[in-house]
Amino acid sequence: MSIRTVDVRGRAVELIEAGTGDALVYLHDIADIHAARPGLLPFHEALANEFHVIAPAHPGCAGSDENDDIEEIEDVVFHLLEVLDALPFETFALVGAGVGGWIAAEFSVRYPDRVSRLALLGATGLHVPDQPIGDIFMAVQSTDGGMYPDFRRMLFAAEDQAEALAMFPDGLGEIGNEMLRYRMFRFLSRVGFRPPYLYNRTLRDRLYRYDRPALIIWGSEDQFVPGTHADAYVEGLGHARLEMLEGAGHSTWIERPGDVAALVSEFLKS
Amino acid sequence: MHQVHFYCWHFMAYPYLPADFDDKYESGWVTVPNSLWDHERADTLYQGYIDQLVYAEELGFDGLVLNEHHQNIYGLMPSPNLIAAALTQRTERAKLVILGNILPLHLNPLRVAEEYAMLDNMSDGRLIAGFAIGGGPEAFNYDVPQPQARRQFWEAVDLVARSWVEDGPFRHEGRYYPLRYVNLWPRPRQKPHPPIWIPGALSLETMDEVAKRGYDFFLSSRRHDTATQMAVERFADRVEAHGGAFHPYRMGILLSVYVGESDEQARAESREGVWYFLRNCVKGHLRSRGRNLTFGPGVPSASVTSWETYLERADPTTNNFGDVETWEELDSWSSVIVGSPETVRNRLWRMIESFKLGTILIQFHFGNLPDDLTRKSMKLFATEVAPKLRSDSGALFAEEFPALGEMLTRPGAAA
Repeated sequence: MSIRTVDVRGRAVELIEAGTGDALVYLHDIADIHAARPGLLPFHEALANEFHVIAPAHPGCAGSDENDDIEEIEDVVFHLLEVLDALPFETFALVGAGVGGWIAAEFSVRYPDRVSRLALLGATGLHVPDQPIGDIFMAVQSTDGGMYPDFRRMLFAAEDQAEALAMFPDGLGEIGNEMLRYRMFRFLSRVGFRPPYLYNRTLRDRLYRYDRPALIIWGSEDQFVPGTHADAYVEGLGHARLEMLEGAGHSTWIERPGDVAALVSEFLKS
Repeated sequence: MHQVHFYCWHFMAYPYLPADFDDKYESGWVTVPNSLWDHERADTLYQGYIDQLVYAEELGFDGLVLNEHHQNIYGLMPSPNLIAAALTQRTERAKLVILGNILPLHLNPLRVAEEYAMLDNMSDGRLIAGFAIGGGPEAFNYDVPQPQARRQFWEAVDLVARSWVEDGPFRHEGRYYPLRYVNLWPRPRQKPHPPIWIPGALSLETMDEVAKRGYDFFLSSRRHDTATQMAVERFADRVEAHGGAFHPYRMGILLSVYVGESDEQARAESREGVWYFLRNCVKGHLRSRGRNLTFGPGVPSASVTSWETYLERADPTTNNFGDVETWEELDSWSSVIVGSPETVRNRLWRMIESFKLGTILIQFHFGNLPDDLTRKSMKLFATEVAPKLRSDSGALFAEEFPALGEMLTRPGAAA
């Protein structure tokens, strides 16, 4: 594994790279690499056993420079295009989790020829009437002197499960991890705090433009992005298949890293 | 002789919460259900609060201070300009301080420029125009993304100020508020424009932006100790670095005061109101219990480096302002001063003497403090506390700032 930064039009972008094989670009979410923990997590390690995983940190996250000019998702997609142009791959598999899934979907409908396969894990990005995405900004605000039950509840099946408590403990966590979370939320605030809240109203009608195979993975107990959004992705994309993980919450890649990595790997190789 | 100015500050709190509010609700802000609004009892709320402010002018206060808050029980003035408009017709002498309109919450800051210009004319030039960025609760109230809010704020401030002094129509080429025609009718009454006050915390960046433009700084803090002293020094340093003259009226602080006939009586009379304010009004803002809406990753207004500095010193489990349990603990914050005229006078004098500030904003109404007690405290302050502080401060300022008179007559100097 290597962690390095590349210069993209004068700004540093941090990349984690690991493994060999076909290129797999991974776009992270909140309970994830670059946003909660430095380095790889078991899910990404499993993927790196079979693919050449490249995971850029979103603008302002981890070691990526902040960019005040990023104010909406379109700016993020264009930034990602510039990042990927700086890498030696014309095509790649694209895997996006949560907010990273939204970015992956936006990229794929614009540049479908560059994305050989698309996998979305609990992706935000769509507007589904009366099925709102949970307010993660409110949930991350602590209660009763530094407690985070609501944040864990939104991102995991149960707020007191071991993975949730390990990643987002109550009280003041390790400063480096706290700073990763803070940087992630600065990024999220830029693109999703002002409504449309972590979605793009036009994306749903544009999904048809990505007509290659796609895999949608969701936790049946996702409290952040309702399962109806998974159905909307499947319906819109046309060549998509849904894997609903019974009993899992939003962060399936943390809760069931082996299962999710196997599903993704099998799909990408099929 | 230039003496300390005392301003009467009002939040216009919602005073009719149920007794079990603190047990049942996580915040007095944003999510506090408005089904708690008591239609019958709240009928006369605004009239009563406006009357208290009119009474403050009768008692000789130098100014009346209003502020903007939304969707909360802490302050019922989503539009302080409406209250100011009422006050222009019921007062004649006191400055009307709006501290301030929260600019990032306005789609177009020209509306603020226009309303302030109206108020300045309606009050015959008594407006002090405050502009605020807004904090965490305001971010949730109006869905304002915080990383850009500061930049958006200063563009709005500069646009408003320019619209007051420059002949129109002109074009504004801004990032957030590009406008083809800026052409203000009416123009403000005061020349070149009403004094501008801007609240901020200890951030050097805000102080520098305020000093650079020659505006006055209001320290938004509920603890007055060495940090306040440091803020005065920092702001004075920034003012002088930009070629300005620092003097006691360049910066203000907020205190809360209750004056009773004796220390015991003051505490007995104000206890319920003070703790209603701390437990309920401040919950969600400066209180550890409940949900913290003011600081955190959900409302990331602090830069990455400021947040890191904050985390290195942070202890989320310690009592915040709203968590204090006892009078002694409250005294240690030095921002809520309760006691006999002598006690209040002595404690305020110590602050005036060490901070050397001439702009003291005082909240007299706390939470659900009854009208008669609020007025009694205001009157005791005006008759038994203020006179000596005024004369003593005059002597102090004359000694510390021998050129004060000259500084105040300079063009653009705030009064």
